[in-house]
Amino acid sequence: MEMESSELQSASPELQMIAEFMQQSLPFNELSNNSLQWAVAKTLIHYHCRGDRFSKDTAEMGLRIVRSGAVEIRDDKNKLLDRLGEGESFHIGGLNAENGNVQALVIEDALLYLLPDEHYRRLREENRNFDRYFSGQRSRRLRRAARYEPVPNSMMREVSSLMSTNLLTVDPALDVKAVAGAMTQRRVSSAFVVEDDDLVGIVTDRDLRVRFSAEGLPPDTAIRDIMTNDPETIEGSHTVFATTLLMTQRGYHHIPVMCEGKLSGIVTTSDLILAKQDDPVYLVQHISRQSDVQGLVDVISGLPSLLVQWVSSDIRAQQVSQILTAISDAITIRLIQLAEQELGPAPVAYCWTGFGSQARAEQLLGADQDNGLIISDEMTSEHRPWFSAMANFVCDGLNACGYVYCPGDIMATTEQWCQPLAQWLATVRRWTQTPTADAVMRVSIFFDLRAIHGDASLAKRLQHEMLEQASSNTIFLAALAANALDSKPPLGIFRRFVVDRDGEHRDSVDLKKRGVLPITEIVRLRALANKIEAVNTDERLRALAKEGYMTIADSRNLADALHFIQRQRIGHQAEQISREETVSNFLNPKSLSKMAKEQLRDAFTIIDESQASVKATFRQGMG
Amino acid sequence: MLQKTWDCEAPGLGCDWRDVPFLVCDAEMSSLDANSGELLSLGWVFIENGAIALESARHYLVKASQSVGQSAAIHQLRDCELEEGRSAAELLELFLSAAAGRVLVFHNAVLDTAFLDRLTCREYGAPLLMPTVDTMMMEEAIFRRHEKVIQTGDLRLHACRERYNLPSYPGHNALIDALATAELLLAQAKCRSGDNNFPLRHFL
Repeated sequence: MEMESSELQSASPELQMIAEFMQQSLPFNELSNNSLQWAVAKTLIHYHCRGDRFSKDTAEMGLRIVRSGAVEIRDDKNKLLDRLGEGESFHIGGLNAENGNVQALVIEDALLYLLPDEHYRRLREENRNFDRYFSGQRSRRLRRAARYEPVPNSMMREVSSLMSTNLLTVDPALDVKAVAGAMTQRRVSSAFVVEDDDLVGIVTDRDLRVRFSAEGLPPDTAIRDIMTNDPETIEGSHTVFATTLLMTQRGYHHIPVMCEGKLSGIVTTSDLILAKQDDPVYLVQHISRQSDVQGLVDVISGLPSLLVQWVSSDIRAQQVSQILTAISDAITIRLIQLAEQELGPAPVAYCWTGFGSQARAEQLLGADQDNGLIISDEMTSEHRPWFSAMANFVCDGLNACGYVYCPGDIMATTEQWCQPLAQWLATVRRWTQTPTADAVMRVSIFFDLRAIHGDASLAKRLQHEMLEQASSNTIFLAALAANALDSKPPLGIFRRFVVDRDGEHRDSVDLKKRGVLPITEIVRLRALANKIEAVNTDERLRALAKEGYMTIADSRNLADALHFIQRQRIGHQAEQISREETVSNFLNPKSLSKMAKEQLRDAFTIIDESQASVKATFRQGMG
Repeated sequence: MLQKTWDCEAPGLGCDWRDVPFLVCDAEMSSLDANSGELLSLGWVFIENGAIALESARHYLVKASQSVGQSAAIHQLRDCELEEGRSAAELLELFLSAAAGRVLVFHNAVLDTAFLDRLTCREYGAPLLMPTVDTMMMEEAIFRRHEKVIQTGDLRLHACRERYNLPSYPGHNALIDALATAELLLAQAKCRSGDNNFPLRHFL
């Protein structure tokens, strides 16, 4: 079949549609138009039903792009590595070159574009940037690292993960006295009665009290006479949730756990209660029931060890920061309620507002407080003492709970951050119209805001004004851009280790300052410029891509970079807590595995590229 | 020319569908009536070894003998563009050489083949007479097999594609519709055959 490329490009609007789709898929965005058209012509289209598999033995090798449907990538232990949707691609041979026995499984009927191996290779040979994506597997690798699947919460864990394996098994002919003695000695509250390797009954200390002592039976009564026959068991693969349900429905206090047909453990109601206590939902509820500051301090003191548990059960970075933010919200709200109990109800409507990372729901441990009070314009000077007293109560309480006072004084206790709405609006206008260096620095915290408690419409109106003022003001946006470009990602980290200016942490990199902040700043700038209301960085990125202000590729890359860095931060914090060190954001790259080091470099590269694009958009000609 | 195409050995009815070369085709016309309407454009794509080969995609405009008039609103082909098209005879020759040794596929074959038949009658004095698969009839058969009631619009190309989780494409371009039909055929064939042998006779 002869193919004239001119004919291909001009004659087929249809193929242009496919080219546009492929261009949105990484790394085809790197190709010149000619190469892209060539790739389209070489593409084969396949349809696969749910359940179809690809492995290293698949006959046709090449790069597969998902046009519709969904595909899962799993490793040899069936662990989920990645889930691919529209516009994402995989090369089953490439995946296996790196990693044992990886399989791709179609989980939703899928239309796949296949670029056969020979053509795929040629594209890589002829296009450096296209090739770099695969040789470094930059974005893909980062995505996999940022995404890998968590156990969402402890109630969904397998029950086998919390069962006790300290089992006492006894013969049915044994007498009650001997069994009771053995139970006391082993410090267990139940014993399994086993005959010929089969579980025939269970005896609990409750049975000993009720069926034996209360009945006044002789001590040489055989255990089979008082045991519960053929007790119900549960499979070890069932969730903690399902187990809790079964036990409460049937009124069981003990239930034997079977794994692969064999008795392998026991779960008691107290195990379940303990499991529940790690659950963040439980913690938040617990916070709202405390009646004084000390109670809150006590509840929150367990937080660092909970973080360690969450990290070890692979909860995602975004989820950890969401949970931590939910907890700080709950503490703030409870403190406000306690203040109102003490001071009486508020004289006029107000909104307690969180700024910065609390507003973005991106808090980690060790976050300081950033808050303010937006008060209804009905406020008069005689109302101020009530608000001052309330702010003092709440900010002191937060400090006691470990959310230390804001070093920059962005707190409702200062007059500037405790104002009627009209004053707030005036401040916004002043700062956007004359963006001094100081104003721009404050804006970076102040423009991320979220109503925590009270009349949310006050915060909404303030946010609306911010978006109106910011989006139409190119000078202000240019000033924000300068700020976003201020902190360069430490790309040289792998040749020489960067010393941060304060010199305190030689050989280390500040993940918050050099990684998270530049991303948040870039994304905030883009969101403000395009009147995006979302405040959370992930939500902003999704909105920017959806509205077409950012390419899907750029949006995803930044999100992946952020998630990866946040995960490193959280993991690092958990390690510091385990070693009883002070929690910090400084990480020594030497402590990272080779893989993680590469990924960190990928993340920094993505930040660097985004900064370049910010410079081109917002500071053209300004140097 | 038509004779030459006929002479090419057609794949046997017992062949597994993956071994059958298909020519999936769609035409745009100025009217739905083959007697008064004219062929305006023709698009096609090959299916080989169970996959659509984009390299084979073709889209041709036909130089019209009269104005397309009102139908321009639907297929977006204007007289000035059709001016640059090929003559119907020229296009028929291209089509017949592409069709040699292949099984034709259309969505609602009756309409498209009526136009092609008229064209071959005019040029060669005989109708097309080629083995033809109709994805619409296949879909209808699936409905019947599951004893489902067919409602208006259920058998339209777009509606059929949705049932197989295929993406939605803009309509009324002969090549886009040919590609859409080809993807539908793959989906129908895959869903019915799985990894098993599934001979051509089930398609006809």
